[in-house]
Amino acid sequence: MKPPPAPKWWLDLGLMAAAFVVLPFVMPGGSLDLNPLYFQRLPFHAGFIDLGTTVLAFSLFAVGFNLLFGHSGELSFGHAMFFAIGSYATALYTKGFTVYIGTSPLHHDPVSNLWIALILSLGLAALWAWILARLIVPRSSGIYYAMITLAFAQVIFFVAFRWSDLTGGEDGIQAISRPQLPGLPPDWMQSGTNMYVFAAVAALIAIAVNYWIVHSPFGSVLHAIRENKQRARFLGYDVNRYRVNAFVLSALFPAVGGWLWVYFIQAINPDAASVDYSGRVVMMSLLGGIHAFIGPLLGAFVYWDLQNSVSQVTQYWPAAIGLVFVVFVLAAPDGIAGVFEVLRRYGIKMTMRRTVEPADETDATTGVGS
Amino acid sequence: MTDGQTFAYAFKTEHLTRSFSGFKAVNDVTIEIPRGGVRAIIGPNGAGKTTFFNLLSGLLPPSTGRVFFEDRDITGLDPFQRARLGIARSFQISNIFRKLSVYENVRLAVQSLYDGKASFFLPIGKTGDLHGKTVAILADIGLSDVADSLAENLSHGDQRRLEIGLVLARDPQVLMLDEPVAGMSPKETHATVELIQRISPGRTILLVEHDIDVVMSISTTITVMQTGQILAVGTPEEIRANEAVQRAYLGGLA
Repeated sequence: MKPPPAPKWWLDLGLMAAAFVVLPFVMPGGSLDLNPLYFQRLPFHAGFIDLGTTVLAFSLFAVGFNLLFGHSGELSFGHAMFFAIGSYATALYTKGFTVYIGTSPLHHDPVSNLWIALILSLGLAALWAWILARLIVPRSSGIYYAMITLAFAQVIFFVAFRWSDLTGGEDGIQAISRPQLPGLPPDWMQSGTNMYVFAAVAALIAIAVNYWIVHSPFGSVLHAIRENKQRARFLGYDVNRYRVNAFVLSALFPAVGGWLWVYFIQAINPDAASVDYSGRVVMMSLLGGIHAFIGPLLGAFVYWDLQNSVSQVTQYWPAAIGLVFVVFVLAAPDGIAGVFEVLRRYGIKMTMRRTVEPADETDATTGVGS
Repeated sequence: MTDGQTFAYAFKTEHLTRSFSGFKAVNDVTIEIPRGGVRAIIGPNGAGKTTFFNLLSGLLPPSTGRVFFEDRDITGLDPFQRARLGIARSFQISNIFRKLSVYENVRLAVQSLYDGKASFFLPIGKTGDLHGKTVAILADIGLSDVADSLAENLSHGDQRRLEIGLVLARDPQVLMLDEPVAGMSPKETHATVELIQRISPGRTILLVEHDIDVVMSISTTITVMQTGQILAVGTPEEIRANEAVQRAYLGGLA
């Protein structure tokens, strides 16, 4: 007996890289007035390349979320908190701040170093995720898990909303400068196209890491836990340790997404930690298909594509997206990727039928078949 | 399996009690289960057999009392810790990864031996000889032909055998089987009994089973439970001849 074929990572990631090259050209252009607070501040014409960058940032948010939802079978309804932590960490580090703890001031000068900003985003997200996971994982699963993660996301939301000295409160932080890359002109990243290229490379690396995790022995244990926690436990797996680690890992990708997002939008406000954002990523994952690796990426693309197209026709675009979402949940629970898979199997069946039929005829002529 | 050390018993319980809102499913059981052989637990429905199993394997914490495994107090250990000590169990209702392939089911069970090793983030093919051991177990339980099927598509008997394959993967010293032949056809029952006899040397097998013919034919000793307590312990012949057991359970069958 042969072992099952190893995943073709070079093919999958190569296709993804190709998709990232094509992506900006398939996004609808035109006005991006859905979130005016962000897009009015863009220093350049908002077009499809920017929507492409948006999709990239949210792809990372979604693949991280789906590591938990699709692969471990646990619904976090507050994953936007990690997106927000990545965003605010980058914004505050880049922009600088002065806050008073009691009467003693805590001051930080503006620094433009994207690597330290990335490390801070990842570190803070991982720390917060680890603390939460240690609290949540041994005590809850299912709907309670979803509700508790939601509650903790609200904590982050209100910190962002209320601690005005640090976070700028409701208005958030604006005019965050884009970073410089070594060896490139200082204003290189001011161009929307260059920003997209940078985001695409970063996203591809992060997605490759996610791919590696999902297809590792660790990932296979997450699938075991998703299918049957009790059996996994009785096989000798420390299920709760895996659930904690999965939670922490799943927080890292939204943090990278938030890091990219801030550099792209150059502003951040508490919406990033909102229930709305947490819900959107659930929607994206389900739309794309939670059981396929490509699912959340497809979902992020389709979601933003839909939102941008439909909102140019009607202000009631959320209703339209909601309708599409409901149709998918009812008719295609494995999302767009699931539909593709069904078509692929159907194609194989058709091909097989075509190759089998001539054989039947031969049998008939020789009389062996009957 | 043979680690040089010899213990007098596999399991020992001291005043083990488990109540469910006042009802004592297992009531003050103090017993030693010797090492080796096939040790069957029988008794009428509601006698507390499965609860007793759950207490030994760690699915339920006891209300009072202690559980020992080879001189070690395991009362407070989680099932995954007990599994690592060499206690493996199957369940009354097949407990497998239904949406995964048969191969992947067994592979995951084998992989648990490497849990926590540094190689865990390496590609699946690079972690020990997972494939070789998986193939060996599939052959052992006679499921090589259906390795690529989803576990949920197997027949009932094959699902039961798959679960025995899963619990075998860690090469456990104690194998706890909860009604392994329940609902099986005579042919499947025969194959499963053969499998149990083949894997029993060097291990202790604990068995809860209603099929009295199977119990009588493969058991070294039989423990009879009734209303949460031990009614009798003995060889199949002794149990057959025991009048209290006759009255309580066998009802003239033997």
